[in-house]
Amino acid sequence: MSSTRAAPAPPSRRPAPERGRSGADERRLTWRNRLYRFDMRYMPYLMIAPFFLLFLVFGLFPLLFNAVVSLRNYRLDDPTLPYWAGVENFSRLVADEDFWNALYNTFGIFLLSTVPQLLLALLVASLLNRQLRAQTWWRVGVLLPYVTPIVASTMVFSVFFSRDFGMANWVLGLFGIGGADDPIDWRADKMHAWIAIATMVNWKWIGYNALLYLAAMQSIPRDVYEAAAIDGAGQWKQLWRITVPMIQPVVLFTVILSTIGGLQLFTEPMLFDPNAQAATGGPNGEWQTIAQLIYKVGWKDLNLGYAAAMSWALFLIILVVAGLNYVLTNRLSGGRK
Amino acid sequence: MKRSWTHWARTAAVGAVSLVMIAACSGRSTTGGSDAADGQVTLKINFWGDFGLQDLKTKYEAEHKNVKIQLNSGEYNAQHEDLQKKLVAGNGAPDIAAIDEGFMVQFRSQSDKFVNLLDKGAGSYESKYLPWKWKQSLSADGKTQIGLGTDVGGLAMCYRTDLFKAAGLPTERDQVSALWPTWDKFLEVGQQYTGKTKKKFIDAGTNLFNPILGQQQVGFYDDQEKLQMQQGPKVAFDYTVKAVDEGLSANLISFQADWDKGFTSGAFAVLACPAWMLGHIKDTAPGTQGKWDIAAVPGGGGNWGGSFLTIPKQGKNVDEAYKLLEWLVAPEQQIEIFKKVGNLPSQPALYADPAIADFKNPFFNNAPVGQIFPKMAQGLTPQYLGKKNGPTRVAVENVIRRVENKSLKPDAAWNEAVKEADKAAKS
Repeated sequence: MSSTRAAPAPPSRRPAPERGRSGADERRLTWRNRLYRFDMRYMPYLMIAPFFLLFLVFGLFPLLFNAVVSLRNYRLDDPTLPYWAGVENFSRLVADEDFWNALYNTFGIFLLSTVPQLLLALLVASLLNRQLRAQTWWRVGVLLPYVTPIVASTMVFSVFFSRDFGMANWVLGLFGIGGADDPIDWRADKMHAWIAIATMVNWKWIGYNALLYLAAMQSIPRDVYEAAAIDGAGQWKQLWRITVPMIQPVVLFTVILSTIGGLQLFTEPMLFDPNAQAATGGPNGEWQTIAQLIYKVGWKDLNLGYAAAMSWALFLIILVVAGLNYVLTNRLSGGRK
Repeated sequence: MKRSWTHWARTAAVGAVSLVMIAACSGRSTTGGSDAADGQVTLKINFWGDFGLQDLKTKYEAEHKNVKIQLNSGEYNAQHEDLQKKLVAGNGAPDIAAIDEGFMVQFRSQSDKFVNLLDKGAGSYESKYLPWKWKQSLSADGKTQIGLGTDVGGLAMCYRTDLFKAAGLPTERDQVSALWPTWDKFLEVGQQYTGKTKKKFIDAGTNLFNPILGQQQVGFYDDQEKLQMQQGPKVAFDYTVKAVDEGLSANLISFQADWDKGFTSGAFAVLACPAWMLGHIKDTAPGTQGKWDIAAVPGGGGNWGGSFLTIPKQGKNVDEAYKLLEWLVAPEQQIEIFKKVGNLPSQPALYADPAIADFKNPFFNNAPVGQIFPKMAQGLTPQYLGKKNGPTRVAVENVIRRVENKSLKPDAAWNEAVKEADKAAKS
């Protein structure tokens, strides 16, 4: 079918090898030629298909289905409600103070984690980029937190930040902050809870980002640094004027990745709560993130329609923030685009 | 133009072929499983903690050669959430699912997703059960019974005799019961204890709130599903805030590491104790053997927890599952479970059985638990638990925790509790 149709077609932009022969030979296409043609034309699609199929099944379909559910009354404990809710779920969202509180928390923790995380990763990477003893050991070492299962590390941090016998309070006590008489209750107010959770996130991701930066740094030619050194640029100036602009694509990549990760934060705030099953993120929602609120609304309050609306709101927020970050980072690091 | 069209058509064709291939590969796997041709059935039971089923499984399998039982114990909340998800998905639920009374209202309102046990002839069990227990798993219109009761909690107070002695309080269980006929008296005893020892009396404000609320005529919701904060909840909340304000509470959170540690370290001297709690104390603080005793709960009876066994409709072997369910709630097995893990049966006829009536718990100073808990369970007036009971309870408990961690002033607490409960009711 396709071969007869392809024969009279005008020459395309792409060189088609099987058309090297004259039209008279078309009829004598051997099995081998057909196989070759199949290989050239269809094989690439077939090879890439698994990814798109998986994305279709586990990415696009849930996304669209979620959009449909967000316009529905989908309460597990009350199946009698009318099927469609229209935009009711979304209009309710705008007035829901729990949602705004969770958004506030998410951004607070996001700022406290992403900014120090990427800056520290940059410093660690530039340290690792020098001649060090036991270089491989250090490089593997910084990746260890990333390999640690997130639940395990969060449990340890949760004890670390406990009020009565926590190591964090003990260390701070050595510097005269808090102390045994007046220990910091890390779960009693927003600021302390945010710092504790941001610390967990930073600990886990600094090494990972540092390795990405390191890989990018190693592709910067040495003579650029030599020239800069001759011109009198110090280490600090070299880092900001040469290294950062030259690894800019990787910086953009890490900024977007940590934006997505930071806005979807779930495990850490969940397990930081001693009463984790409630999913309220503290007795007054001190550190309840949006992902946690979605979980609570969906599976604790059993209101899947409203939870779906929240998920879509989160999706849009992430798109906007990631876009903003892209523009900002591009500007800051002297982008060429 | 034409070129790009064929390009798309080609892509779509390859995609469609691959989809069909994937579908062809995965089509059969969902239908496989328990139904084998030779009549072999596998029955999966989901529950949490220890239901004392291990030996019973072996026994049942020996008597029924064609049945294999899979015991799947998980975390309390996770099991209920998992069941909810599987019910929505319409696939994957166990053949028999245990449900706690705290989640019963939620599942009872989805009674179309469970096998109606009345259709299977379970109606004859009605007279055998405590009337309120039978009603708890009955659908609102009374036409569908989704589960048969296993245990009930009952309610008593567990206290540390050694700590009571050190504070100059009586240690004999009858004398202790006489100390606190009411919750007012209970708080007075607490003040004495804390005043003398500078130690905390109760484990947590929330564990004072819940038993008191359970004793009220009306809980959070009346039977019209209207929030009734000014009645029962107000009474329970006032006592709780008073106790926290006076520094009687260790401000712990139930079933967390610090709470468990508290049993051994003596962080508190008394706690509300349903029958199933005895096993928990024994497991978490084995070193405190003989230091505990059990007294009556202030203000009369009460109940905390208790479970049901249900059969989700999506199962393929509902008949076999029902046979097993009937066997599990039969008197012999229920007594076996009581002896093994302490769970009190919910069929009052069994309370007269010497195996239960004469049972004394050596860990708790030989307290006659076979007498104490049945009395509580029988003297109970059932309270209607609204659909939103769970979230509302969490919301109010959170307000209590804020009073405990001092981020909320005690006199502002009640208004806050009402506000949060309203919010939970509307969620």
